[in-house]
Amino acid sequence: MPEENQNGSISYSLAPYTGVWTKAEAGHLLRRTMFGPTNQQIVDTVTNGMAASVVSLLTIPAIIPPVAYESGETITTFGNPWVADVYPTNPVDLTSTINARNLSLAVWIVKRMNEETYSIAEKMCLFWQNHFAAPFCIDPRATYDYHALIRSHALGNFKQFAKDVTINPCMLLFLNGATNTLYSPNENYARELLELFTIGKGDQIAVGDYTTYKEEDVAAGAKILTGYIVDGLVSDTIPNVTANYTALYHDTTTKTLSTHFGSVSVPNAGAAEYSNYIDIIFQQNTLAEYMCRNIYRYFVNYDLTVDVETNVIPDMAATLIANNYEILPVMTELLSSQHFYDISVRGALIKSPLDMMFSVFNSTESVPGFDLLTDSEMYAFIYSVCDVMGQSYAEPPSVAGWPAYYQEPSFSQLWLNSAYIKLRFKITDFATIYTGVPGNGNNWKLSVFTFLDSLSSPADPVAVIDDIADVFAPKGLDMAQKLLLKAILTNGLPDFEWTVQYNDYVANPGNVTFSDPVKLRIELVLQRMFQMPEFQTI
Amino acid sequence: MKRREFVRNLALISAGTPILLKEMQFQSIGKPLFGVAKSAEDRVLVIIRMNGGNDGLNTVIPRDQYANLSIQRSNVLVAEASVLPLTTEVGLHPKMTSMEAMYNNGKLGIVQNVGYPDQNRSHFRSMDIWSSGLINTPPDTGWLGRHLDLEYPGYPTGYPSGVCPDPFAVSLGYEVSSTCQGILANFSQAVEDPFDVYNLSAGGSINDGTYYGDHMEYITTLINQANAYGAQINTAANAGGTSTIPYDLLNPVAKQLSYVAQMIDGGLKSNVYIINVNGFDTHDSQVATTSTEDGNHADLLKQISDAVGWFQDDLAVRNLESRVVGMTFSEFGRQVASNASLGTDHGDAAPLLLFGSCLSTSILGANPVIDSTITNQMGVPMQIDFRDVYASVLKDWFGVGTTEIQSFFEHTVTYYSLVGGCGVGLVEETELASDQAIVFPNPAVNNAQLRFIAKSEWVQIDVHDINQRIVAILYDGNLEEGEHNMPMELGYLAAGSYVISIQKESGNAQVKLVKVE
Repeated sequence: MPEENQNGSISYSLAPYTGVWTKAEAGHLLRRTMFGPTNQQIVDTVTNGMAASVVSLLTIPAIIPPVAYESGETITTFGNPWVADVYPTNPVDLTSTINARNLSLAVWIVKRMNEETYSIAEKMCLFWQNHFAAPFCIDPRATYDYHALIRSHALGNFKQFAKDVTINPCMLLFLNGATNTLYSPNENYARELLELFTIGKGDQIAVGDYTTYKEEDVAAGAKILTGYIVDGLVSDTIPNVTANYTALYHDTTTKTLSTHFGSVSVPNAGAAEYSNYIDIIFQQNTLAEYMCRNIYRYFVNYDLTVDVETNVIPDMAATLIANNYEILPVMTELLSSQHFYDISVRGALIKSPLDMMFSVFNSTESVPGFDLLTDSEMYAFIYSVCDVMGQSYAEPPSVAGWPAYYQEPSFSQLWLNSAYIKLRFKITDFATIYTGVPGNGNNWKLSVFTFLDSLSSPADPVAVIDDIADVFAPKGLDMAQKLLLKAILTNGLPDFEWTVQYNDYVANPGNVTFSDPVKLRIELVLQRMFQMPEFQTI
Repeated sequence: MKRREFVRNLALISAGTPILLKEMQFQSIGKPLFGVAKSAEDRVLVIIRMNGGNDGLNTVIPRDQYANLSIQRSNVLVAEASVLPLTTEVGLHPKMTSMEAMYNNGKLGIVQNVGYPDQNRSHFRSMDIWSSGLINTPPDTGWLGRHLDLEYPGYPTGYPSGVCPDPFAVSLGYEVSSTCQGILANFSQAVEDPFDVYNLSAGGSINDGTYYGDHMEYITTLINQANAYGAQINTAANAGGTSTIPYDLLNPVAKQLSYVAQMIDGGLKSNVYIINVNGFDTHDSQVATTSTEDGNHADLLKQISDAVGWFQDDLAVRNLESRVVGMTFSEFGRQVASNASLGTDHGDAAPLLLFGSCLSTSILGANPVIDSTITNQMGVPMQIDFRDVYASVLKDWFGVGTTEIQSFFEHTVTYYSLVGGCGVGLVEETELASDQAIVFPNPAVNNAQLRFIAKSEWVQIDVHDINQRIVAILYDGNLEEGEHNMPMELGYLAAGSYVISIQKESGNAQVKLVKVE
């Protein structure tokens, strides 16, 4: 361990972490970069070491687009992607097809998270969904394109991402860019571009002056961004939604930015003018600090202490600037840093509903595994469950994202109150000891045998509980809690009786007389684990 | 799309499945066939689980078999002269002096050789069988849970309520009891210490001043607030007042039973209390090397016997004796022959103890017969089915109707007179009324039977889902007069709640069916 940690002080260094590398540190890395690491993934991460593991995690695997499964879809055949398909002309069919495609999108998102591989992809995509927080738009194809854009830039160049999202049809529709014209300027997007998406709003230091930008920049920005309209929405002939520059709607005057941008002039550049403007914004170094605070809060800790502001954020920002706004080097440095592994930030975040849900499923390697329709209905159910718990992916509550990621002073504690905690318990009860997730007449329960069999020594009750604690409790469980869980596992019997039972189950494959009791015990242990406060943190 | 519309569209998908989350509650169409008798509402059943497989032959000792017992298990058998005699044939382990006194006062009952056919000697499987009361179907519900599900449909939605502010059952310790597992939730509340305001030992982590510690404190507080029954239990325990009986509180069973007495006396309306005692898996060191009257098993028996004795005295002082009966159970007995490690291995049937002042039996069943030579690994053969003990207690103590009881079990129930000394027990209903029907088992997996009566008339029987859509027509034709037991194939139905509707001129009947996987 670093010297400074041995006497209890906190390391704020972004220099590579060189301390002990055990399941505790590996688990911390995986819980922050994935929704639900398995015990085996944690073990592999220990074996492979930090550096190689971080490299592996920081890749974005390709995925297939959403497919038609719901009977309301009237164009695309069952099981095929609809993202480049037209809509029916008949208004009744149009409505049902839009609904079907929105459901398919929700299913796609849940399935992606449930099937996450050893990668930061899904956590990173949720970060960007929360950052450029656009909701579903009128055409599911455009909503899909927006999420595909997020994924393609998830570890890419932030400057290029900001440019692309500015003229993304979903975003143009969300923040009125599509109706921002020479004749009727609309400041909505221009404001959020500065306030939330790039440079961030500082303190108000004068009327219309927010330290980093002024109201006049919002007005100028709106003019700069005029001219992009959206074509092909819910069209029965055009297979894609596109943003198209229309010179007629563009304000060709020369715009002047405020003193915060050096009072620079932005001359008419037609379709490329938005890109020139974003280049100017990205010349402001405060932008990098603003973005690095967002990354820090999401991946490390919500509390931007004076020490963090002084020692961590500037170093992260320097890396972002030095790499021309590439995100990957910043993430590599952060996830390999002494500060990231400091004991003071472990378990410092409360699980969001999505974290909670997919911690339960993914850490137990639980996937529905039925047919497309059944799996999809189950995933749609899970989507609505997460919505009820306060986090509906693709429907952030506002352009600022979910308050738990930014709202002082409670931050991630906002995910929980006495009603939400009961709801979480109900849901985990549902997944463990009750009927499971319903869909198309089937039920999806946790894959407890897959989970149990993949632990380091499933016949040894002590090892089983140790592994469970390693997977689900960021700072472990104390001895009393472990004994409590072990007593549930062994049903209060001597340890060897569990060993006998487990070995009987292994020796008699397919025989429910032996497997049912094992299943029940592990379900009861997980049910109790999921009710421990430790489980609610990452 | 508007946010609400989208959510609603998603909700539509899930229609037809029991959605816990949307607070959809199944509304029972049929009224309960038999309500709980008023006097039964105050009754309490205390269950002591002897976990690990109690050596029945060393608990209730068949004195008339002593000679052959000494051949089979001399290294664990207590001296003949030390056995506490209850009758010429039956005695108790020498440490069970309190229970001996209770027996002599008519407050201890023994049911001999309780078990089930084709004993499974796995702790886990056998405990599942004993807790569920189900042998051939998955143990997804407990025997008490099925009873409570019929009494309180929809639980846990809507509970606690003004009428039912208290938990239906209290499980002392950290784990809810599988005996109380209902379809959607467990009816028991785990209570480690009723004097702890919230009774929910949520976690071991304390606020160590870190961010994590702050979260632990925050979440623990939330969990405590969410524990709706905590305050009720705490209030009752405090209202119950300290006992005047000198319980030895270092005896964990005594401590827990003292809590139970206080909670009952304090007005907690829970009908069931479950206590768990570990340590009965005595493969070795069952008896001490110095004396067969000492050792681990003797200590456990003494703990339970002493504790139950004090508890009974406590109930008498508190004037609660007529409201409480108790029962022990264990997943199996142990083998007749002992092993070389001063222990005994997993066996079959074993005696079950009843206690209280309302018993109507002293000793039910004959002593097991021990031969001088026995087969390897022989256990005590089953004589009385444990499910019939449960059924008898449900009928005579809780006043549950026999048709309802039958629906809880897979076999044809036989009743024994076990409790009833306090004028309890209800008149058994003779037959179904024309507007009544029962399904058993219920919940059911693939097969169930529907029982109803008809005149000589045309009868149509439909199965409806919770949206009242007909999903199956079971029968449509003439029937003869009398009681009908109609077998039903359920394999094609999705898991969930259904209503079976029987339409006939002599009176329509509706009954709820719960299909499980």
